[in-house]
Amino acid sequence: MSEPITVRVFEIVGNGFCVASDDGQKVHDQIAIALRESRKVELSFLNVDSLTSAFLNAAIGQLYGEFSEEQIKAGLSVKDMSNDDLALLKRVVDTAKQYFKDPERFKKAREEVLEDGDDSQNS
Amino acid sequence: MKIRLYDIQSNYQGFECLIKVAEITKECIFDNIEIDMKNVGWLDANMCAAFGAILYKVGREPNIVTLSNLQKGVETILSKNGFLSYYGREKKQDTYETTIEYKRFEPKDDRYFTAYIEENMVGKGIPKMSEGLHKRFIESIFEIFSNAVIHSRTKMGIFSCGQFFPNKKRLVFSIADLGIGILQNVKEHTKQEMTAEQAINWAVEGKNTTKVGRIPGGLGLKLLREFITMNQGRIQIVSDKGYWELSDGKVSTRSFLNPFPGTTVNIEINTADTNLYCLSSEIRSEDIF
Repeated sequence: MSEPITVRVFEIVGNGFCVASDDGQKVHDQIAIALRESRKVELSFLNVDSLTSAFLNAAIGQLYGEFSEEQIKAGLSVKDMSNDDLALLKRVVDTAKQYFKDPERFKKAREEVLEDGDDSQNS
Repeated sequence: MKIRLYDIQSNYQGFECLIKVAEITKECIFDNIEIDMKNVGWLDANMCAAFGAILYKVGREPNIVTLSNLQKGVETILSKNGFLSYYGREKKQDTYETTIEYKRFEPKDDRYFTAYIEENMVGKGIPKMSEGLHKRFIESIFEIFSNAVIHSRTKMGIFSCGQFFPNKKRLVFSIADLGIGILQNVKEHTKQEMTAEQAINWAVEGKNTTKVGRIPGGLGLKLLREFITMNQGRIQIVSDKGYWELSDGKVSTRSFLNPFPGTTVNIEINTADTNLYCLSSEIRSEDIF
């Protein structure tokens, strides 16, 4: 993998309240594009004041439905997070791993990702 | 039609009273509905979220809703928090800034909701709390709002309101929606018959989630429960016919005769709390994934 790309959460959301699932989705999309191209991503939470599990589930949790744990571990890192926020992220990640252990859910999530890919190619 | 209302506190009886309004008016259309407040000597301001949700639904049928015979004290508080502005009265100055304004949001209004929380929770008469408590409280509110957006499927909005009680050192905040409710959500997911209280219990347990598809879930209510337990605060969840309360670390449930037309979550925090609110001990970013 080449030089890591820094994705700044504050820049994508536009303020320090990283709380809505829709905003998390925007962050996810940036990370997913890079991971699909085997680029390393460094996710910066600088200036983020508030975080929710809803935001983190959309931004990071759903990555486990498309990428393997090994891919995520090798390709994604976080920085500029308080210990509290790291602890919340850890719980979101653990819950996501558990969620996608259900093969039906994993399969469905993969299918949705692939369908989206087809849609964007057709549009 | 005239409906007489009585005291509304943040408890089972208060919700029962509001549910009666929803029940009596559920078939009304093109009606003039007068809510007679003559006997209301006390109305917990945060309950405006649930009250407002019910009146909004009645008004949308459509019906004309009016509030009459308000006692002075009740009128003052409902004017200060902006509730009566929705019913043709002027908003009054909140001198002590202890009210958190009553507002209705569309599910897509998360930006407005964020601005509303920022405006109401920073630099007003809301008490100085420890940094950790303030952060967890605000994040809890956002978790509840997100839950309503993601799960309720509401087309009629999300209603919120709050109040600070300086003498009791308690801050109460409520979020109500007019969505499908927790029972229907859980039943659709588990394919099991259960009561509304059982469904709420199921939803607040960790690892349970009605989420399907690519975005995982199931942490929001669990985090809220942990936080409120540590803070020695209180949560009330009313959805469909179910009433669920966590107070002094203990859960109690009851059921109503008729359903609340959506879900309301009330949270009450102890603002004098000095707990540190670390979710866990030192954690390294390398160990996350």
